[in-house]
Amino acid sequence: MKKNLLAGLATSTALFAAPALAQDCPIKVGVLHSLSGTMAISETTLKDTVLMLVDQQNAKGGLLGCQIEAKVVDPASDWPLFAEKARELLTVSNVDVIFGSWTSVSRKSALPVLEELNGLMFYPVQYEGEESSKNVFYTGAAPNQQAIPAVDYFLEELGVESFALLGTDYVYPRTTNNILDSYLKSKGIAAEDIFVNYTPFGHSDWATIVGDVVALGAGGKKVGVISTINGDANIGFYKELAAAGVSADDIPVVAFSVGEEELSGLDTTELVGHLAAWNYFMSADTPENAAFIEAWHAFIGDTARVTNDPMEAHYIGFNMWVNAVTEAGTTDVDAVRAAMWGQEFPNLTGGMSVMNANHHLSKPVLIGEIRADGQFDIISQTEEVPGDAWTDFLPESAVLKSDWKELNCGMFNTETGTCIQVTSNY
Amino acid sequence: MTVVSSGPKYPGGGFLAAQPATLWFLGGLGLFTLGVTVLAEGFGLGTLSTSMVKILGMTLCLCLIAVAMDVVWGYCGILSLGHFAFFGIGGYAVGMWLMYARTEGIVTEALLAAPIPPTETEITNAIATQIFGVVGSSELPVLWGFAHSLPLQLLMVVLVPGLLALVFGWLAFRSRVTGVYLSILTQAMTLALSLYLFQNDSGLRGNNGLSGLQNIPGLDHLPQSTLSLWFFWASALALGLGYLFFAWLVSGKFGSVIRAIRDNEARVRFLGYEVEHYKLVVFTLTAIVAGIAGALYYPQAGIVNPAEIAPIASIYLAVWVAIGGRGRLYGAVIGAAAVSLASSWFTGGGAPAIDLGFYRINWTDWWLVLLGFGFVAVTLFLPRGIGGLFDLLVRKS
Amino acid sequence: MRPDPLRACLHALAILLVLLLPDSGHAQTPLQPLLQEHRAAITNPSRGTATAMVAALLASGHPEAAEFLRRWQDRGVVERRADGMFLYSDDAGGLREIDGGMAVPGLTGRDVAPIRPNAGVRAVVAAALVPLELTAPDPERRRAALDAIARSPEAGQIAPLTVSLDGEADADLRDRKARLLTLLTAQFGPDRASRLTAIESLAGDTAIEARAVLNQIAARVPGVAAALPEGANIARVLEVDEDLTEIEAHDRLVAARLAPPRPTAKDLRDALSAHVEGGSVGGIPLHRLNTDDMRLRAYEALEAAGRVPPRSGPPEVSQAVAAHVFFETYPEPDADITAAAEAALSATTRQIALYQGADLILDGLSLASIFFLAAIGLAITFGVMGVINMAHGEFIMMGAYTGYVVQLFVPDYTVSLVIALPLAFAVTFGAGVAMERLVIRQLYTRPLETLLATFGISIALQQLAKNIFGTQARPLTAPDWLGGALTFNDIVGISTIRVAIFVLALIFLALLLYILKRTRLGLEVRAVTQNPGMAASMGINPDRINMLTFGLGSGIAGIAGVAIGLYAQVTSEMGANYIVQSFMTVVVGGVGNVWGTLAGASMIGFLQKGIEWFNPSNTLAAQTYMILFIILFIQFRPKGIVALKGRAAGD
Repeated sequence: MKKNLLAGLATSTALFAAPALAQDCPIKVGVLHSLSGTMAISETTLKDTVLMLVDQQNAKGGLLGCQIEAKVVDPASDWPLFAEKARELLTVSNVDVIFGSWTSVSRKSALPVLEELNGLMFYPVQYEGEESSKNVFYTGAAPNQQAIPAVDYFLEELGVESFALLGTDYVYPRTTNNILDSYLKSKGIAAEDIFVNYTPFGHSDWATIVGDVVALGAGGKKVGVISTINGDANIGFYKELAAAGVSADDIPVVAFSVGEEELSGLDTTELVGHLAAWNYFMSADTPENAAFIEAWHAFIGDTARVTNDPMEAHYIGFNMWVNAVTEAGTTDVDAVRAAMWGQEFPNLTGGMSVMNANHHLSKPVLIGEIRADGQFDIISQTEEVPGDAWTDFLPESAVLKSDWKELNCGMFNTETGTCIQVTSNY
Repeated sequence: MTVVSSGPKYPGGGFLAAQPATLWFLGGLGLFTLGVTVLAEGFGLGTLSTSMVKILGMTLCLCLIAVAMDVVWGYCGILSLGHFAFFGIGGYAVGMWLMYARTEGIVTEALLAAPIPPTETEITNAIATQIFGVVGSSELPVLWGFAHSLPLQLLMVVLVPGLLALVFGWLAFRSRVTGVYLSILTQAMTLALSLYLFQNDSGLRGNNGLSGLQNIPGLDHLPQSTLSLWFFWASALALGLGYLFFAWLVSGKFGSVIRAIRDNEARVRFLGYEVEHYKLVVFTLTAIVAGIAGALYYPQAGIVNPAEIAPIASIYLAVWVAIGGRGRLYGAVIGAAAVSLASSWFTGGGAPAIDLGFYRINWTDWWLVLLGFGFVAVTLFLPRGIGGLFDLLVRKS
Repeated sequence: MRPDPLRACLHALAILLVLLLPDSGHAQTPLQPLLQEHRAAITNPSRGTATAMVAALLASGHPEAAEFLRRWQDRGVVERRADGMFLYSDDAGGLREIDGGMAVPGLTGRDVAPIRPNAGVRAVVAAALVPLELTAPDPERRRAALDAIARSPEAGQIAPLTVSLDGEADADLRDRKARLLTLLTAQFGPDRASRLTAIESLAGDTAIEARAVLNQIAARVPGVAAALPEGANIARVLEVDEDLTEIEAHDRLVAARLAPPRPTAKDLRDALSAHVEGGSVGGIPLHRLNTDDMRLRAYEALEAAGRVPPRSGPPEVSQAVAAHVFFETYPEPDADITAAAEAALSATTRQIALYQGADLILDGLSLASIFFLAAIGLAITFGVMGVINMAHGEFIMMGAYTGYVVQLFVPDYTVSLVIALPLAFAVTFGAGVAMERLVIRQLYTRPLETLLATFGISIALQQLAKNIFGTQARPLTAPDWLGGALTFNDIVGISTIRVAIFVLALIFLALLLYILKRTRLGLEVRAVTQNPGMAASMGINPDRINMLTFGLGSGIAGIAGVAIGLYAQVTSEMGANYIVQSFMTVVVGGVGNVWGTLAGASMIGFLQKGIEWFNPSNTLAAQTYMILFIILFIQFRPKGIVALKGRAAGD
């Protein structure tokens, strides 16, 4: 252990002197996505995305004169395994960077290992925020890059006055709904106009809940649903919604976890007009996106496969990492981290993403209406919004900020002017 | 209970002498521990990485719970599909202290930077915000009343699984729920517990569970390579002691009675034995051992959460024991070690993919299919499990 | 939706202009220049800017304006990138000029920018077009206009609605118009008498739209003041300690800026921190300030020295609360109208409670039938044969995937369902027979090992399904005639697919009872179950019977899979979601009896819905309590609800 660390230190100092020569070839990229178990549904696609990006980079001549080698492991949707496999990747396979995780709990499982061994991970999924680790770059959306703009859209564009917050019972929906609850109240929505419901993973019995939502209409206010329902459970929910004849004009539903992949599991003709908020939609009309989709279809060998938001997050994250490594002239984590701050890369939907010193991206927020073909019509696209690690809408978090560049702290209390901790609270 | 005192009596420590298998096992375990220690990164040659030491240490804990499962199922005939719940409870109990103490250190340090020293309430609130901020709460639930104290939480490791097993067992055995009904009932208990823990408001951080458990408060200065070895030794010791204890328990009259219960419960009852009491003792003791195994396992795994307790985990436990061979303690150890290590090897990409020309068998995709059908095969053709093969060899020689 | 006087006026104006100005004078004027004046609002549609633009276009009196808006809201307008001209585009992608309708050839998708008004904008346009659409020749358009009124009711709609009512030929639409007129009059009626009449006519109406109107009229706003305001329509005065606690009352005072906020522990700490002098505050050394008591004493010392403002403690809070009055007012000034609305609402309370109860029963019934359907196959294999089949859930999954595969090849949903149901039965029947012959037959004497062997099959099948169909959920879509819902009124309703599942459950119940009680096969099954040896000596082949019984149970699971897939998701894990519940259904109901399974499913279904009703915000908690209840129930009735008696009960 100590020996490795010393050796690493020695190489990294040597690197500054003569970068191209001292780099260990090949450069290794760890892929920590579940290939089996419940999360394989979503994560297998991301594994393929990283493999595709590695292939593309190698075709361009690799990195620092080396080929890139992907090291794929399967944490099997088993959260403790994320810690085990992360340790294996960092110490046995000696990877230079990890792309991985989907659920928050899997990230929190891997975090202590990453921080202990000073690894580097890119996390590509929208999440509840309230975290900023020195060793993680969050390329998915924080709540202020997805939930808050969607609610603003509900309030301003659709005139919704009564809200139903439906979610799966786990951290992301709970925290997001807490933030939204406090945000809505600050916008003058009364507590009795906010209906909250939590259901288990994979829930299928939606009749009563849909009935409850429809009954909210008796209050005489326009009702809207904010859905943080996860994965498969959405299918039953939307089927019940369609059966109850709830059209998007009467009760619009905006979802934060429903993308092109999830919609491929059901017939969307009845769902036309319902909404989703993401930082990317496959229907985005830009040359970059067209090229990305083409490359994806060629790589996977199936033109029916869709692209989605976390894939774009990996696309941005991987390219930023490549540029940061090129800039730093080494894959050493500390040097790459410093080069990551302020790194820019074009989005697939237009505009530039910027990596901020709080390790979150500035990205545009898109709102899409579901079409009959399972794709989304983009009806609103904001300017780039900087991701907020600590939300401004919860009293405990409002005083916190993260700045690894100036303050070297991910959890800095601006009131007392102290750094609460340099590691994360897992 | 008077039933325990009717355990085996051997003049002058002859128990081990009468148990060559136990001796062999303990010797093997000792050698294995020594070997790992010499090879480990934190101590000697460094051939075994820290992550491998952790895997081996966790496997020993799984072996321990498998031994407990073997006693309750292989010897007493109760197919409990709930022992992994006790295992998880042990992990939660020790995890609460680990999280609390670690957070307390961080919080006190941050608060000491302020000009005025913090009050007790301020410290507690700050700890609660740190631990529960993630699930949108800032109050310490009642459940965490003892979390500040390691001895009290260690007591919980034994007490909570023990009491839960005692109450549940008493209710179930008293109603004469037996056989598959009992299995389904224990499964329902596991399901209820995991559903409860899955709730965000359970007070145990819902789906996220307790994480960062590999960082031991007070031992921050030690590298994981050292800590992993300490836990490995502790797991080996626990397995050795547990094995010895259960071997002693099942070798005497008590063992004969529970085996008799397994084979024909009604007859044992007619003979005047309090069948329910025997079953209750076995059920509770094994639950306690499962809790201890969990308390050693999760600090090595780093995270405990409700998915660990899901009913399927307990079924896998039964599968290990069946593959290893029921009714012989070393069989349980073989089964648990073989299946969990094989699973680790296959899903870790260690197994080479087989190219059939028209199709490529990737073991990450096909491992569960192999395990499933392999398991059917063992049940059909090898009812005594791998341990049974062992017996055949011994008998032939 | 609050009445918006400005919008109402604009509408009235627009109608007037449209009705008064002669069309002919504008026939030649092109619309495009007018549109270009409003290009910002047209190309970047937003509810905020659309209202003014729509009103302006309609106010221009241009005959094409309404047609343009209609097409614009349906996303049939694009912008030519080269010069910013607006063009009509049809579904096929053909482009035409707005004025004159000339086709514009030679442009590709890259040359034009689509314009996508959102749902909020579409509602604005629909509401603005209401006066024109109400008299449109196409009944569908008239209906759409009525929907627009229902979605965004406004005072300005009363006049055109009244006018159009007389000429309405369609009886349905006329009823609907009259109904909407009543609703609009109740809310925005011109005079008090007509409003009161309208409100009274809504008394006892349980429809959501009626209650929405009444609730709007009777909406209350909390208020706080030193004395009750003169002339306000007071709904009620709140008593502190009865209707709200002192703290809540004080919070309202703070929110209304009538009292300073209560000092928090943090304020205290901050105040003290600001006055640290030489290692002590107010004469108390810093290290002793680690209790609230000592901090208060330090503050008092500072307060006595006049260094900090006096601290408002509990007495000050009580004083402030006592000095104010807390009340609720109606924004509606007329007390008679609000009283009438309250009376009309309270007339519905009981009925609504009854309907809600009925709806709950329907939901419970539906859930029970789903549980029954999922468990009935198990009731045969486990209940009658005593075989624990952990792969039962995977048979459900196989059935659902069969349905999916059939839909891949047969695009017509009705036909595919007709094929899928028997095919699912056949597939899972075959799988069941194979499993019985290959595995279970060897293990009849070892029931616990059957459990484990079938579990092995279960995980293998699940992973196989993942390898074949992928991990993503697969679509299984119900035909249109199963797509809607059976609604009795706005409260009581159930989706048709659930009714179908209920009917299917009934059919299976009847079928199984018939097979078991009335057929030769049933007789033989019962004989083999009770005494295989004796049955064999009577010339029955127990192997064959066991095989058939197992196949039957599995086949039913396959059909259940199709039904479950139709209303929920088809994934490789769907079976695992039902297996534990199905076993509990069978055990709770009582093993060995189809009626028992029915009783078990009913109990679990209704119980679940009942517990959910008590705590509607947390379904997971409801499931937890239900399982705990089942555990306790089995303790007290180990043989289940319908326990077999005598020799059939076994042991």
